[in-house]
Order: sequence, then C-alpha cells, then structure tokens
Amino acid sequence: MNAAVPSTTDVKLAVNLGGLHMKNPVTVASGTFAAGREYSDFVAVETLGAVTTKGVSLKGWEGNASPRIAETPSGMLNSIGLQNPGVKHLIDHDLTWLRDIGATSIVNVSGHSFDEYVQVINALEATDLVDAYEINISCPNVDAGGMTIGTDPASVREVISMCREATSKPMIVKLTPNVTDITEIARAAVDGGANAISLINTLLGMAIDAYRRKPQLARAVGGLSGPAVKPVALRMVWEVHKAVDVPLLGMGGIANGIDAIEFMLAGATAIAVGTANFNNPTATVDVINGIIEYCEQQGVKDVNELIGALQ
Amino acid sequence: MSHLVNEKARILTNENVGPRLHLMVIESPIIAKSIQPGQFVHVKFPDLEAHILRRPFSVYGHNEKSGTIDILYQEVGSVTRLMPSMQSGEIELIGPIGNTWSTDCTRALLVGGGVGAAPLFMLAETLKHAGTPFDVILGAQTKDALVARDRYKALMEREPCCATDDGSYGSPGFCTSLVEERLSQGCIEDGAPYDFLAVCGPEPLMRIVADMGAKAGVRTQVSMEKRMACGIGACLSCVVDTVDGKKRSCIDGPIFEANKVVW
Repeated sequence: MNAAVPSTTDVKLAVNLGGLHMKNPVTVASGTFAAGREYSDFVAVETLGAVTTKGVSLKGWEGNASPRIAETPSGMLNSIGLQNPGVKHLIDHDLTWLRDIGATSIVNVSGHSFDEYVQVINALEATDLVDAYEINISCPNVDAGGMTIGTDPASVREVISMCREATSKPMIVKLTPNVTDITEIARAAVDGGANAISLINTLLGMAIDAYRRKPQLARAVGGLSGPAVKPVALRMVWEVHKAVDVPLLGMGGIANGIDAIEFMLAGATAIAVGTANFNNPTATVDVINGIIEYCEQQGVKDVNELIGALQ
Repeated sequence: MSHLVNEKARILTNENVGPRLHLMVIESPIIAKSIQPGQFVHVKFPDLEAHILRRPFSVYGHNEKSGTIDILYQEVGSVTRLMPSMQSGEIELIGPIGNTWSTDCTRALLVGGGVGAAPLFMLAETLKHAGTPFDVILGAQTKDALVARDRYKALMEREPCCATDDGSYGSPGFCTSLVEERLSQGCIEDGAPYDFLAVCGPEPLMRIVADMGAKAGVRTQVSMEKRMACGIGACLSCVVDTVDGKKRSCIDGPIFEANKVVW
C-alpha cells in the first residue's frame, strides 16, 4: 500500500504562518504524530504543510505513570507527561530525517524552567534543521513548566521574551484553554514576541472508574482532546482572532476537511490534526483533500480567502 | 520497522464460543499473509463515532489461502460489549503490529490464561512446524471458558494441560500449579528441561509465571497489553516499565523478556 498524498488541484493552498511558509494549511498537533516517521507507511509526511514534533526538553523526560489514557465520549484524556528522549536525540534521529525527506518542521519546545526553554532553542539553533518553533507553555500533564506558565500573563510575556532573544525564526506560542480569558494570554504572548499563536492545547479533565472507585488515569487528571473539544476550540480561535494581529494555528477535534474550514473561517491561518491521527492514520492527508474539495465546490481559488471569513 | 497497512477488511463470521467469549473471522488478505506469531491488529469499527480510539486485538489464527484472520475476544469493555452484534460489515485493520515470540528454543512451555491462549496459538503452530517439542498449559475460570482447548488439541494431537478455577475441567484452581509441575518434570515428550517459557494472560498470572521461570532459570517472554491510542508507536500511551526505561507495548512489544519488565 502506498502512502497517501494530497490530490492535485488548482486551488492555491499555501499559507504564511507568522513567517513560516506552509505549502498547505495542515500540520499536526504536537504529541500525536511523534516526528512523523511512525506515520510514513500511511501518509507522505513531506506533503503536509508542516510536521510539528512531539514536545522536546533539554534532557530526556520519563513521563507519567500508567494508565496514561482513557477514552471518553467523542474524546480521550491523556496524561503522557511529555515523555521524550531529549533535544539531542530529536536532532540526530528525527530532524535530520525530516530534512532528508523534504518536510517542513515545527519543533515543539518544552521546559521545566524558563532557562530550559532557552537552552532547548539554543541547542536547535546550532543546527539548520528547524523551520519554526512552537513554544509549549500549555501542557496540563507536568508539574513544572507547561500550563503553570501559560495561565499567567506576566510569566508568558517573560518566557516568550527570553525565547525571542534566542531565535529569529518564526515562533508560535501554544496556549492552554484552561484560563478565564484566553485573549489576555494571547496578547501577552504577542507582547513577548510571538509571530503566531497556536490553540488549543487540551482541556483539563478527569475520568473515574465507578466500580474500582479510582481515577482512570494514574495521575488522576489529564488533557481532553478529540471531537468533544471542537466547539471550545472554535470559540477560542474566534476570540483570539479578534484580539490579536498575528496569525493563528487552530486545533481541537479536527478530523476532516470541513472541521478545518470551520477553524479557518473562525480566524485560523493554518490548522493541526491531532487525536484524529490515532483513529485514522491518513487523517492529515484526508483533511488536506477535504479542504481542496470544499474549495473546489465553493469556488474558493485561494485558501487565504477563508481566513476569518466568518459572516 | 516493518511495513504497516491500514487494510479495509470484512467481518465474515462472529460467533459466541463461551461465556462472554466470541470468535470473529475477518477477511483481511494482506495481513493474513504477513502476520507473525505474537503480532496484533488495531481495529476500527464502523458506526462507533463516540468511541474515537481503535481497539487492539491479538491474532488467534490466520489462513493465507482464504485470506482470513481469527480474533478471539472477551466482552470486557464498552466496545467489546458492542462487538457481538457485528455479524458482518466492513472494518479497518492496521497491522501487522509489533514484535514476535522467540522461536529460538529446543523445548518450550506455553502458558495461556483466559483469552491469553489466543496470541500463543500461532507460536504453537510455528514450533510444531519446526519440530520443536512444546507443551501447552491453559487456564480459565470454567470448562466452558476453555475455548482454545480444541484448537490446541487438534494441532498437538493430544490434550493440552488445563486448569479451571472452579474445577469443572482439568486441574482445579489456577494454572500456576501446572506450570510449577511442568517446570520440575520437564517436557512431556522426553522429560528434558524447557529452555523457553511463553506466557500471555492477566498481568498477575504473567508475573507469577515469570517468577517461576526466573527461579527455574528458563528464558521467559510475556505479551503485554496496555491501553493504546495510535497503536503504531507515536503517542506513548501504552508504555511498559522496563529495566531499560519505558517501552511502547505496541511496537517495542507486545512481547517482552520477562526479566526486563518492572512489574
């Protein structure tokens, strides 16, 4: 079986996400696609707008105890805890592979501390293997770093400013939805120097086994994703689009082309396919083809016409 | 990494074979040709949109000529409880996933608890084909639940050693006492000691048998099953704690050396 590739079309698909040129608006949500190699039997990874890699820290992280996931109605909870083998492994093993196949790479950067984010970027800046960064200040599954930073505007401004000084490459900041006012956080990220905003990370949730009287996840709580979160994600993309001038990378429950179009209409310049990859390993290419089909049907000549075109 | 496919497959039959136990035969010619002992398939069923995750199933048997694979499953969760009503229809299988049982042995003892008998059957076929002497111990709650007994008996041309929790067939109690007996007496065919122990079943059973194997100095492999999302090594949901760190049960496993597992 050959890996799936997007259909040929006259529709102009290329977008510019804060300085990152993407051949089409579709990337993947960090953590759902590793660095793409595992999916390469199913989709031609280099045909995606970009591959967003699994969150990386300076040294390897072991992640959380098991069970790490639970299925919930039209969604799932995860509590992986940013397990990763560290930035050196990512560079040597994955980013070189992505470059060799001609893929566009967005590297998701994580840290326990402000300094660690900068150290990870420094390690990556020493290579020419990164097309853009996504700064993860929104993981709900770690005790330090992650969401603890991303819920406080002053912390967001500070850590993003530090990252900004470390790189001149396009920098996307990934926001958590677990806040009262996401526009306040988005503005702080832009003040710190973000070129683009990605949203949403997962919603903090919980699942319980009534018969065992225990949480289903070892860490009790985890991040909710999948179609169940799409309405929340759309609302937040719409709000942030009105609040800031930088382009948005929208995600949350996107499983087909129409879902993607909805995010673009709400204000997203590009979109990420996440949890849908687990159920459908060709979801990324299916979404690109769904976007093409919509545009051809609707007489849309350039996907950029759709961004924020909600009436 | 082996080449994976997402094969459009078809349910041919799906019959009740014991208490909450069912045998599904699936037309899946590509996977039927390539599946190896111990590997599994990751299944997407139609019309279950609220269940967004696939479900992994070990493969109980395969027939290259008819292009079919067999899945022996037990109703335990939200999806397996819906499966008995699926008497036909199209499904999708990602496979063949994972590593395989070792066959590098001279005398093997296979221990299957409950539906854990299923992923060992293709190993038994391979050993039989290679002329390697092996014995099989099957455990279940009741006689009715010993659903793999006939298939093993037909292959081996003799009875597997059986134990039932309620004593309704074979040795009463857990099958672990049979494991102890066999490890002390050696291979039924010639009394020579085993040099390989393959175990699949509930984790407490695998742990006990792994300890017995370690005490007897016999190489032991176990088949681990964890909650899984992608099934192809990307999501890190299904990790197993090992002395070498966390390993993915989907593609680093599902077969692990028992002495590497941190239980």
